[in-house]
Amino acid sequence: MSTPEVKLITKIIRELSMFLMLHGYEQFSIETDKEKTLTTFRVKVKTLDEKTKNTMLEKLNRAREIEIETYGWQLVGDLDQKSELEIVGSLVDDAKIEEENGHHSIIITRKNPYLKKH
Amino acid sequence: MHKIFAYLKKRIAIITALFVMFAMAFVLDSPQNIYEGYLEILQSPGVLISDYLYIAGLGATLFNVASIMLINIVMLEVLRLKMTGPIFAGLLTIAGFSFFGKNIFNTIPIYIGIYLYARMQNLEFKSFIIVVLFSTGISPIVSFLIFGTGWSYAASIPAGILVGMLTGFILPAFSAHTIRFHKGYNLYNIGFAMGVLSMLYTAILGMVFGFELEPFRSDETSEAFHNELLFLTLVLSAIFIAWGFIANTQVLKKYPKLLKSTGRLVSDFVRDHGMDIAMINVGVMGIISALFVVALNIDISGAVMGGILTVMGFGAFGKHPKNAVPVMLGAAFWYGILYMTNDGDVGVGIAIAVLFVTAVAPIAGRFGVFLGIFAGFIHVMLLPLTLQFQGGFDLYNNGFAAGFVAAILVPIFEALRKNNGEEAEGV
Repeated sequence: MSTPEVKLITKIIRELSMFLMLHGYEQFSIETDKEKTLTTFRVKVKTLDEKTKNTMLEKLNRAREIEIETYGWQLVGDLDQKSELEIVGSLVDDAKIEEENGHHSIIITRKNPYLKKH
Repeated sequence: MHKIFAYLKKRIAIITALFVMFAMAFVLDSPQNIYEGYLEILQSPGVLISDYLYIAGLGATLFNVASIMLINIVMLEVLRLKMTGPIFAGLLTIAGFSFFGKNIFNTIPIYIGIYLYARMQNLEFKSFIIVVLFSTGISPIVSFLIFGTGWSYAASIPAGILVGMLTGFILPAFSAHTIRFHKGYNLYNIGFAMGVLSMLYTAILGMVFGFELEPFRSDETSEAFHNELLFLTLVLSAIFIAWGFIANTQVLKKYPKLLKSTGRLVSDFVRDHGMDIAMINVGVMGIISALFVVALNIDISGAVMGGILTVMGFGAFGKHPKNAVPVMLGAAFWYGILYMTNDGDVGVGIAIAVLFVTAVAPIAGRFGVFLGIFAGFIHVMLLPLTLQFQGGFDLYNNGFAAGFVAAILVPIFEALRKNNGEEAEGV
């Protein structure tokens, strides 16, 4: 996996962590599953309130924006407000939230663009 | 035919704006004047502030603006890119700076440099579109090396093209890095990055080749077309506002939510709030710019028109009345002091700053009206110094200054805030 991709993945983890902590969720775990073409983030957290859950789904399910890949990504992981997650939303392809045994699992996937051929 | 109509409908606002500019060029000037003026533009060194209205007249300048916009719109179509906020802002910024410093000739080598960088990174060229659209702010380095050095064309043309390509090659990585310096509170981030590069070029040209840029820097501008350009501003604003209402008659219901945005990079109003309300905001920002210009008795030169179009463009990418007006008031306050103490002779640099100060609009968006006014005031204080630093190759001198303003003020304002992270919910 390329270094820029690794840097970006770690920034996304940081932003997700900050978002949850700023919303009062201090116990959570984040696992990443890195394949050659796809990275999956699995965030396990105690039950999210409805507002936070909807905010996350709305922001993370924005359409992928290829131009943010090369421009705004350095700001990822540097939240200034509780509500910010927009840039991460532009960098991931899909997000869903599953409920299991009183916990929520936020599953986010991102395709690696550094493998595209011209 | 059906496809052409569908395309025209989709891009009606921008196509109409383009048509108005081409039409005004030929209505207000003769083809002969346009041709001769356009050649003057292509051969101008382009260093700040090369007012093309002063150099070549209104017809040739409008032709330059419209033709550069047309080329960039074609490029966006070829790359199959959607019209997002950053892309819209990039297009209008290009249009604005085509009034003073940009032309087709000096922008192409920079695009080629970015293309080569994309190839090296194994990424698609279109993923660099934001950098591409804003990169040409440093295009005067190409024109200066070719037409300003006095070298023979055999040496100056390759030098200009190579340095332009090198600049384009460096810029994507460098501008991604500089965004962290001001944490996204300077909307003209690429202007800041290019200011640093311009500083380097100025130093090399001065120390190694003995060039002084001072004689090339000029504040000679033409205000002879004030009325025409004020009219153009109002027509363009009306086009964008009309487009918003035609697309959605209930569009204003979306405005309060947009006005809550801090505007910090990367705030794409088109994507976050919809094209309809983004276009309304673009038009409103145009009218606000015109009001400031009229209220402060500023005559519209090419540089001022560049400022107006840039403010309008960023109406889709971070600026709105609530975050822009406070910083404009801060700049206007200093403008007023200078106006009164210098018998009305303020200088074009400060006049355009009243518009370009909106680079730091996110500071007002995040920290409120009073700190926004303060940031605007500090910004105009810093401007003359940053021009000396960077030499004049970076057309976005306000972006260069805004980078420092944000980097200095934001950490202080953050430290003063007790409720970090608890502020308005934003978008």
